[in-house]
Amino acid sequence: MALALGPKLGPDIRANDLSVPDRDMHIYLPIAEMSANVLLFLGMGWAVGFLSGLFGVGGGFLMTPLLIFSGIPAAVAVGTGAAQIVAASVSGAIAQYRRNNVDVKMGLVLLLGGIFGSVIGVQIVKILRKAGQFDLVLALGYVTFLGVIGALMLIESLSTIQKVRGGIAVSARRPGQHSWIHGLPLKMRFHRSKLYISAVPPLMIGAFVGFLAAIMGAGGGFIMVPAMIYLLRVPTNVVVGTSLFQIVFVTAVTTVLHATENRGVDVVLALLLIISGVVGAQFGATAGSKLKGEQLRFLLAALVLLVCFRVAWDIVVTPDDLYSIQPPFGGR
Amino acid sequence: MPSRLWRFLVCLGLAAGLVAGAAVVAPRFVLHDRAEARIAGQGQKRKEGQGRRKDQQPAPKTAPATPAEPPGPPRPVAVPEPPKSPLDSLPPEKVEADVSTRSIAVTSGFTGTEIIVFGSVDNSRQPSAESGYYDVAVVVEGTPEPLVARKKSNVGGLWINTAAASFDSVPSYYAVTSTRPIEEVADASILEDNAIGLDNVRLRPSAATSGSLSAAELTDYESAVVRLKKEDELYLRDDYGVAFIGRSLFRSSIELPAHVPVGPLTASVYLFRDGALLSKFSTRVRLEREGVELLLYRFSVRQPFLYGLFAVVVAVGAGLLGSMSFRRLSQ
Repeated sequence: MALALGPKLGPDIRANDLSVPDRDMHIYLPIAEMSANVLLFLGMGWAVGFLSGLFGVGGGFLMTPLLIFSGIPAAVAVGTGAAQIVAASVSGAIAQYRRNNVDVKMGLVLLLGGIFGSVIGVQIVKILRKAGQFDLVLALGYVTFLGVIGALMLIESLSTIQKVRGGIAVSARRPGQHSWIHGLPLKMRFHRSKLYISAVPPLMIGAFVGFLAAIMGAGGGFIMVPAMIYLLRVPTNVVVGTSLFQIVFVTAVTTVLHATENRGVDVVLALLLIISGVVGAQFGATAGSKLKGEQLRFLLAALVLLVCFRVAWDIVVTPDDLYSIQPPFGGR
Repeated sequence: MPSRLWRFLVCLGLAAGLVAGAAVVAPRFVLHDRAEARIAGQGQKRKEGQGRRKDQQPAPKTAPATPAEPPGPPRPVAVPEPPKSPLDSLPPEKVEADVSTRSIAVTSGFTGTEIIVFGSVDNSRQPSAESGYYDVAVVVEGTPEPLVARKKSNVGGLWINTAAASFDSVPSYYAVTSTRPIEEVADASILEDNAIGLDNVRLRPSAATSGSLSAAELTDYESAVVRLKKEDELYLRDDYGVAFIGRSLFRSSIELPAHVPVGPLTASVYLFRDGALLSKFSTRVRLEREGVELLLYRFSVRQPFLYGLFAVVVAVGAGLLGSMSFRRLSQ
């Protein structure tokens, strides 16, 4: 798996810059086969962990580009990122669970779909990597989904913030609103979410997110959260906890798949990211409980759009070198 | 409140238990012979690949498994000049060399290293170290590995990989250093025959690639491979890196960066006089993982599935431990 962030960040080039300045603070990563600055990766883990706790996203959509940017081979960045998300989400999920913010039943339904989607996604990744087009598809996928979701969330959160300022009462639950979703079979009662809806939409959302998780190397929270809010109408406070709950298990499956298929999980690197990520997630969860839902959504939207522009920039701007080199698929 | 927490923990515990159970049921994961054989098989394949290459260098590359091989008989390629002085009645020159570190351990503290390649000229006719009578080139080459080079072009505003060339064998690492710029030392044909210099690195395109691409296209890809490897500091060149210390003794230092691909390296020393290759000598450097690095790497190669589960257990364990201890601290 590789994330195309332009020629400089491509999977072929392992930046050596980070190993030069202070060699005492370095550790050799056995799977990535490079020496890494301990402080840099601790800081990176903390920052992504903080955002994970704050927004209820796995943080993979940030972690994967950041790791590749620091010179980690793309396959290792994706696999190790998944392992890191497991840990960051476990602590975040527990923090949410204690606040009674997890709809376990909803989470399990989403998970079922997620595993199905992840398995299909891994097969498609294999085909694309063989054709040498995975980087491009990955970048286009990031631009499309981050762009659409970021823009939608930005508009929605801004209008909500304005309404709140204007004194109009806004309720996260919108009873009485019926859509095509309510006409589907297999209805289930989700007590915690105060919903009585068909199991088909959560299953489909879960599968879609699992599929994207396998392709993009992200937990999928950045898609799960808005999908649950806007499609399923799950209350915002339950959304974060439930998506974290589902992310823990989907990324666990993804980690094992990447270790098996790509030999892309570096435990030493993962531990660095986990140790700092766990601490960051706790700070994030605390900070998140002090912010209002629409403010959280506004911040997340801004972040999502920022990453979207960064990825788009790299596939549009003329690369420094038209050529790139990579180990052939399956070999290292 | 506590009951909900318990249910959640039971969920996680169940998953962790499954994983732990699998690890207990299959305790063979530590050192597994079948996987060992597979790794050995891969090495064998590489060796065969090397053997098929034309212009094969003699002894060292065919027997990489034997660490302490007897130094192969150096071949004097050109006959020395006809005798003019008493010195010239000496037998032909031979070059012999060794490396400061024959075995480099890649451990958690590995941040790259420097090896010294030193050697001497037997029957040196050189009056002094500064005379510049001989030229020496030192080449350190990493294990050959397959590689794909891709070329982007602009399709509707997006930069897309539209063409590719695959190589069966490309040296993972290549460093060349000499007493003066290698082009001044000998003719291009001699350098090419012995794969000396970044322009002469042996890149073997796959059959499909050499069949479908024109010679000019292939050259573009080959120069791109060398250029990108150079940018990555895996292909190095130092024009004045070899220095004579006495009439016959010389030394050079070669930088191995932290991301040098792990595997055996070959160090070759070439002795030139007036553009003629007088003698050459090759030796090997072992670059191997050691300690925890080796254990983890082996685990990940031999039991990738269990290694993946292990990674998940580590992640879940670290995540839970972290959150619990953090809660204790904040209470």
